[in-house]
Amino acid sequence: MEKVTAFPFISKAEFEKGCEEISVSFANCSKSQSGLLSMEAVLQDGSMYLKIVKALQNETPKPPTAQQTPEEQEIGEDDDEALLDHPSEQVAVQYDIIYSTSYQVPVIYFRVKDPAYRFPPTMEILYQYIIPRQFKQQTDNTGVIGGITVADHPFTNSPAFFIHPCRTAKVLETSLETKDIGPKEYLILWMTAFGNYIQLGMPAYLAQTGTKLGL
Amino acid sequence: MSSSRDTATSLRQKVWHGSIPLEIRLHRGDCRTYDESDAYLIQFPRLSYLGFLIPRLHAFFSDNLIYPDVSSTEAWLSYEDVPLKWHYPLGLLYDLYSGAEPAYPEDGTELKVHTTEEEQGSLPWKLTVHFSEYPAEHLVRLDAEGKYLHDLYINNVKEADFLRNGTGKTIMSLNKEDSTQLWDSVKQHDFSLFSPINQKLLSPQGVNLRHIPMRLYLPHAPSSTQDEEAVAGSLRVVQALVLPALSSRQPQTLGTALNHILPSLFQSTRRPILAQPVLHGAAVPLGTNLEELLRMAAYSDGWLHIAVAMMG
Repeated sequence: MEKVTAFPFISKAEFEKGCEEISVSFANCSKSQSGLLSMEAVLQDGSMYLKIVKALQNETPKPPTAQQTPEEQEIGEDDDEALLDHPSEQVAVQYDIIYSTSYQVPVIYFRVKDPAYRFPPTMEILYQYIIPRQFKQQTDNTGVIGGITVADHPFTNSPAFFIHPCRTAKVLETSLETKDIGPKEYLILWMTAFGNYIQLGMPAYLAQTGTKLGL
Repeated sequence: MSSSRDTATSLRQKVWHGSIPLEIRLHRGDCRTYDESDAYLIQFPRLSYLGFLIPRLHAFFSDNLIYPDVSSTEAWLSYEDVPLKWHYPLGLLYDLYSGAEPAYPEDGTELKVHTTEEEQGSLPWKLTVHFSEYPAEHLVRLDAEGKYLHDLYINNVKEADFLRNGTGKTIMSLNKEDSTQLWDSVKQHDFSLFSPINQKLLSPQGVNLRHIPMRLYLPHAPSSTQDEEAVAGSLRVVQALVLPALSSRQPQTLGTALNHILPSLFQSTRRPILAQPVLHGAAVPLGTNLEELLRMAAYSDGWLHIAVAMMG
């Protein structure tokens, strides 16, 4: 197995190899087992990225907003139910794991895909629908994984959520004792470290590899 | 040496003080009267962000709005049919969308800024402010506190720092007062506040310049893998690792970098044929030393944001 040479950093070629290997292993497992709607390596403008689509989990309870009067809050909740009345299979989160040439680590851009565009990328939507409440502290600017902000997706130039990669190399380095891992394992390590915070989690069939790595 | 330093300082200041007159009108669909409302006129810095203008536009047009209670976070600006990203510097938006002819060096050695007749015809730049039908698919929504604009700015500052030094240590080592002063200098467009912090960021001690932070903005070419509908004015943004020198004797020029990143558009490293790079309203000669260009003409976030204009 080829190793990632500059761990905790990864080269573009290694990253793209990892994307390909992961998408091949996804194609070989059953969809229901993975918990994902799709996972594919996409080639655009000469660069490859990993595109993962997963149904939006709506269980997260809505935190009450301080400024609202109780009455308004009630109306707000009604609106929420109206939102969720729509067939949920249409609403999904798209996660694009993209190579950052600047930081030489993977970066993630994600957004809610919804035909009616009811979930635009704003911090309110992020904390109501995507980030489990117990992780809120770790995902603000001072938290463990580097702040989540809204930024333009490098390929579509449309707004998406973005985890700032300033802490990525450090997080990866501290979560693994050995430095000998291949590109696919690197991406699995990355997903293990960051995925839980944003409902991406770790697909079961990949988690086995994670266990072998001692994660 | 001192004269070249003077030139550098004077160029930095010229770039900082560049500005564009704007004439902003309220979109008819948001205006309560049949007649058009008054226009909002302002001379606005090229290096500043339209996001700062939105609260002022909201206040100015509030009497004319169909729904006077609408929040300023609903506001967005457009030029013709193009929604304008309020977190891009105004100068970049103008260079990308106004259609104005860039300024050319007069004799090939000295870059003189002169106003062409065509440019005068397109000035003031006529923009429209909207308070409804937010193009949420294409624009980040501005929040009331201006936090998103700050986040987007700082993300760029951090990435530029990482590219220049190979670590994010310089920006992380700024103390809180420095970071606040940097953002204040951008908000107030104050060079005397900006310059000392910029010096710390651009010239950290004991660190050689690793890469040039440079982003290229291309008019959008339809792409087969894109599942989104291309909107008017959509762009392809390209960046790559750009070294300051090709070898110990050969510095990187704008032409050698463009030829490396976009070989199909820049076949020659010396002469623009199909496209030309435009920065701060000027067509920049391909022979320009890229490190010097960075030190004199970067935007306030530390990046060279270059519009690639097709020729002919």
